[in-house]
Amino acid sequence: MNGESILFGLLNVAFVLLISPFFMMVIKKVKARVQGREGPHLLQGYYNLAKLFRKETLYSEYAGFISRIAPYAALSILLVAALQIPLIWIPEQELVTANIIVFLYLLVAGRLLIALLGLDTASTFGGMGSSREMSLSAIIEPVTVVVFAALVYVMGSFSIHGIFRTAMTTFPAYSPTVLLLSVPLFILIIVETGRVPVDNPETHLELTMVHEGMLLDTSGRNLALFELSHAVKQTLLMAILLNIVVPAGIALELSAFALVLGGAVFLLKGTVLCVIIGLFESAYAKMRFFQIPNFFMIAFFFSILTIFIEVMM
Amino acid sequence: MTGIHAHYSALSLPAEWLIGEDGTTITYAVPDDRIAAIAETLLALESRLVWIFCTEEREENSYTLWYVFELAEMRKYLVLVLSTSHPVSLVEIYPAASRFERAISDGFGLQFSGSPDTRRLFLHEAYPCGFHPMKKSVKNVPIVPSQHTDPYEFRSMEGTSVYQVPVGPVHAGIIEPGHFRFSVIGEDILNLEIRLGYLHRGIEKLAEGCSPEKGVRIAESVSGDESVANACCYAMAVEQILSLSIPVRAVYLRGLLLELERSWSLLSDLAGMVTDVAFSTAASRFTILREMLQRACERLTGSRFLKGIIVIGGVSHDIPDDVLMEVKDTVMRVRVELEKIQSWAISVPSVIDRFSTTGVVREPLIDPLALSGPIARASGRALDVRCDHPYGLYDTYPVSPLIRMTGDVMGRFALKGDEVLSSLSYVNELVTQIPKGPVQTEYEVRDGYALAAVESPRGRTLCFVRIADGSIDRFALSTASFCNWMALEHAVLGNIVPDFPVINKSMNLSYAGTDL
Repeated sequence: MNGESILFGLLNVAFVLLISPFFMMVIKKVKARVQGREGPHLLQGYYNLAKLFRKETLYSEYAGFISRIAPYAALSILLVAALQIPLIWIPEQELVTANIIVFLYLLVAGRLLIALLGLDTASTFGGMGSSREMSLSAIIEPVTVVVFAALVYVMGSFSIHGIFRTAMTTFPAYSPTVLLLSVPLFILIIVETGRVPVDNPETHLELTMVHEGMLLDTSGRNLALFELSHAVKQTLLMAILLNIVVPAGIALELSAFALVLGGAVFLLKGTVLCVIIGLFESAYAKMRFFQIPNFFMIAFFFSILTIFIEVMM
Repeated sequence: MTGIHAHYSALSLPAEWLIGEDGTTITYAVPDDRIAAIAETLLALESRLVWIFCTEEREENSYTLWYVFELAEMRKYLVLVLSTSHPVSLVEIYPAASRFERAISDGFGLQFSGSPDTRRLFLHEAYPCGFHPMKKSVKNVPIVPSQHTDPYEFRSMEGTSVYQVPVGPVHAGIIEPGHFRFSVIGEDILNLEIRLGYLHRGIEKLAEGCSPEKGVRIAESVSGDESVANACCYAMAVEQILSLSIPVRAVYLRGLLLELERSWSLLSDLAGMVTDVAFSTAASRFTILREMLQRACERLTGSRFLKGIIVIGGVSHDIPDDVLMEVKDTVMRVRVELEKIQSWAISVPSVIDRFSTTGVVREPLIDPLALSGPIARASGRALDVRCDHPYGLYDTYPVSPLIRMTGDVMGRFALKGDEVLSSLSYVNELVTQIPKGPVQTEYEVRDGYALAAVESPRGRTLCFVRIADGSIDRFALSTASFCNWMALEHAVLGNIVPDFPVINKSMNLSYAGTDL
């Protein structure tokens, strides 16, 4: 532990917290524009969080300790995960041990906490959401492992730091397999953040909810924390895709100029990706619940294909 | 007319039982021990029991039950009138009778012998036992909620891993209140029971004692998206009592308003269906078109919901020709746009995947449950009051019913889209042909009773009015939703819970129209 690694941690966590609500709003805005609406202000995400933090937090009369700790635990887990994904600055040395398998299971741990929360409130929809989330989770997990296996195989490292550095040094003359990997990584973002066609983050229909169902009884500060951790999760997954496929602009040395440039470039790349996500969501209706695994299979197929191609070459 | 006589002889109803015949109905008084036998004969004649309602007579504890039947190929409704205080239940012959009988038991305290389901319908637990608000002796005043009534018992399903999911009456979205009790295994729906009554406003009671003119305003406030249909149906019943024929221009204007209402109301169904499968890109397009039509409605009548324009004897004010032409332009624009959007939305693979084979209403359910409107037409039955029992403008300018055969959400989506297109074409043709002339007739109120039928956007609306001493003695209204809710209970069976919202929205039944 030295000064540089603390700086890296602080920078990464602060940046991800700062930027995530903005990305959420970009997607909302794009969807609204596609629908012919004006859409929310791009800073609305921050206003919403500020509002929720000031609001009273209510608990169901059946709620146990899970409801009280889950919001903080979920955000903390994601911030630990955030330490592993360099967003704007890739240091020379690996400052924080960052293993992609650990990252994957940190996400799973966060998911488990929210599923427990859904059960903890003892409401019908919470239980329904948890049951659906865990069913989907059981199917998505092997797919995610294969996607990451392909990534590890192509990049030749388990360490996220190593993967990002390889991507950086080979950019833009990387092999076509990296481009192929962008498909499963994109699907991973859609699935993990519960977007159309897997789940509908904007629905008011309690019977169709997955992620929203589990949070239906959450309010005030707790809801704000969950919304923030959801946004952070999205940014981290976006960062994996962006920093592998278009790593340009990430700071390699520690200087104010490089960091500002890295931040600005990431913001730009992220915004473009959010626009793509928004358009993607607008083009599809939500899938039937039991057909969602078909969607995961696309990610599975592309990952396996990537591994085969890599083996052949 | 031959049709009536053929059925008439098959029924062998004695001529002395005939107590009245008008443009809409043919009415017989039937001795109370004969109703079950007659009902069975009627069943063999492909009839549907579409309504039972009750009236209280002047003598104490004297009630009249009115059974309204619709016979295939017969233009007039057959009404059987029965004076009894100990009625028999017709549930075993006509399942649709069940909820009508329960509503009468709640309202008047009559017990139907032989009924398998004697639970209360619209009176919830807060109402004390023995409280029957439709009795003349009960005053229309607030009551003290009761703590001592038995809780409502839902049909229970038993077995390993069957569990119940209670939904509503308070929902996550801003919609009308209704309680849905699902019995499910995993995500599969084994049973659904719908409980309504949360919006019960005592409208029928409220109308009693009002002047017939005021009744129109009451009828049109029953349900916002079918206000013209309900107001028209009421006005037609009163006009029947007064033997009033309304001016030709008013007939045209009413036809125009009815079709405009159908168009905007069905457009919001289309928007709702695509919203519920999270395809909001198309939903917003449908909503824009609906808004254009509602603004046209406002331009025509001053009300986005077309309220206040229907009066007894015609319409309240004339609409200038230049406004009609403006509306014609809007209607054409909407029609052109809708054609594009509808054919696009219906060809998006992910939408097709959600809509087809979801929530099938099977054709054999239509008669027993007395289903009507787009739900019946999407399941292959050409039932449409405008064609089967033409009234007003549809007598002069007939419409032909559209049908789809599949009975699933896709069928209803496609059918509703086609119906809007055909309604808009109908409006477009008519607007140029509206004759000049007055729009209202003078009338004098006189006593009597009559029944009228109208096709609302959701199907068959029936209204019964009885005027005594110059004011309303009984106002009863049956909207299509009352019977059609049962279609939902059947359509969801075997589907999964997350598909319920889209099945529900594909029918888009009215809570307010059921909870009078």
